[in-house]
Amino acid sequence: MSAQSILELFREEAPKIESTSRQIYAVVWANLKILFSYKYWVLTDFLSTAASIVMYFFMGLQVDPTQLARRGYGENYAAFALVGISTSQYLWICLSRLSHSIQHDIRGGTLETVAVTQIRMGAYFLGQTIRGYLVSLFFLAGTLSIGLFVLRISLQINFYTVSAAFVTFLLMIISNQAIGFITAGIVMVHKRGDPVTFMLAGLNEFLSGVLYPLELLKQFPLLYAVARMFPYTYALDALRRSLTGGASMFSAEVFYDLTILVIFSVVLLPVGLKVLQWGYNTIRRNGTMATY
Amino acid sequence: MKTQELVRFLKETPSSAKEASILEKVVAFVTRDFKTWWTYKLWVMIDVLGTLTFVASYYFVSKIVSPASLIEAGYGSDYLTFAVIGVAFQQYVFSSVSTLSESIRSEQWDGTMETILSSKTSFRVFLLGESVFRFIVGSYFLIAALLLGMAIGVKITTNPGALLSAALITVLLVASHMVVGILGAAIILKVKQGDPIVWAFSWLTQLFSGVLYPLNLLPAQLSWIGAIFPLTYSLDGIRRCLTVGATIFSPAVAEDILKLTIFIVVSLPIALKAFKRAYDSTRIDGSLGQY
Repeated sequence: MSAQSILELFREEAPKIESTSRQIYAVVWANLKILFSYKYWVLTDFLSTAASIVMYFFMGLQVDPTQLARRGYGENYAAFALVGISTSQYLWICLSRLSHSIQHDIRGGTLETVAVTQIRMGAYFLGQTIRGYLVSLFFLAGTLSIGLFVLRISLQINFYTVSAAFVTFLLMIISNQAIGFITAGIVMVHKRGDPVTFMLAGLNEFLSGVLYPLELLKQFPLLYAVARMFPYTYALDALRRSLTGGASMFSAEVFYDLTILVIFSVVLLPVGLKVLQWGYNTIRRNGTMATY
Repeated sequence: MKTQELVRFLKETPSSAKEASILEKVVAFVTRDFKTWWTYKLWVMIDVLGTLTFVASYYFVSKIVSPASLIEAGYGSDYLTFAVIGVAFQQYVFSSVSTLSESIRSEQWDGTMETILSSKTSFRVFLLGESVFRFIVGSYFLIAALLLGMAIGVKITTNPGALLSAALITVLLVASHMVVGILGAAIILKVKQGDPIVWAFSWLTQLFSGVLYPLNLLPAQLSWIGAIFPLTYSLDGIRRCLTVGATIFSPAVAEDILKLTIFIVVSLPIALKAFKRAYDSTRIDGSLGQY
């Protein structure tokens, strides 16, 4: 083969690059297929969340309803716990998903492979994130269904409360996703970011008042101040005020929470994206994409 | 070298190669596991933080709980004490028990399982060695949780007789849950994935053994389920000793101890037999080190 024909061969038109949406779809689909091959894991994880809802349902029978009612969360502890546990689990799976997948791909040596294909890394990261949200949504829907239809826990469901909860939910995802991006960036460079995500999730769950009304934290001003630095604290408060207390998004407390969530989203999301980009560029520059 | 000489040479036991005692082997397992554990300092810190947040969470939950059902069940009127004892002992026993199957999984994954079992270490010593360190770490976190709890209001008796009785029930609690750990390990050994026994035990006991609420709150058609699990009797006995100051001579505690002893005597040989069968089967089909 002459030099000219070799050059021609390399010049040959490469297969057409698929659109970004198709690439995202491919990443989501490939990862969903992997997930559902672990049927046992999916089942036990779902049952664990369902069991915790049932456990707090029975625990709630001991709670004094006036303690919740006077803080604007209705009178039912089971409803209070259902909203707290299901959304905190949802958020935990979403946030840890991206860093967990990246760590898995680095260990398996497939991140480098993905990076040298024509898949845009933005599409890859977005696909992994969307897949996390889809899987979590399945768990969220499952736990809410068990709470609502099996345990007959009553939530305030009408147009005003559901629309408030929907807007809060979207803002909760956007503002918290920044944390997911930051930990993913750290995982890529330092290879061990899971403890950070785990610690953040634990603190988030404790300080945001998943199991108790946040107002009780006020007797410890330092803890209360730290709690107010987590966007989930505001999201959970707004979700509870609407779904258990019956407030709309224009009630003063919910509106305040939503405003804070918008500020968190505007400030944190660009930071999260920057850290993610920094992580990816660093491992490419250092040649550590496949080392762990 | 003639064949006969070679056979004699291989049969020879070198005088310097004295077999280590069981205690020495267990100490070797503990030292190895401690070294591994200590390399993950951040995880150790997270575990400590986890203990802190769990105790603190129930401190706040106790502020909204009404004590009526606790008083009715005979556990005093302090929900914080009730919940901290329940969750601390439940986590203690299950973090310790689940690590037996996790260790086996990890040995299979790293390819060290075959190496250990092909040495002069029997599977019983192997099981014991794999469990001891996690029980030590678990005990440390259990004591830390109780002390932290006492710092924020958990009321525990100082009666020596009651404390000794609680310690005795804790030993029985550990022994009865080793059965669960060994069964879980047998399944891991054979099917290489999942841990349904430990998982199911963990969740069913959280629901039905009265970890966060007294069993009188469960509907009648569900309350009998708790009677199957040793954690139910253990928690009942430990709570009565630590909160009300009961001892092994109190009828309710003595009954708990008797039930736990019967559970251990009946189920431990069955669990060991199941593990032995799984172990022999994997040795026959050559899958001991596979994962």
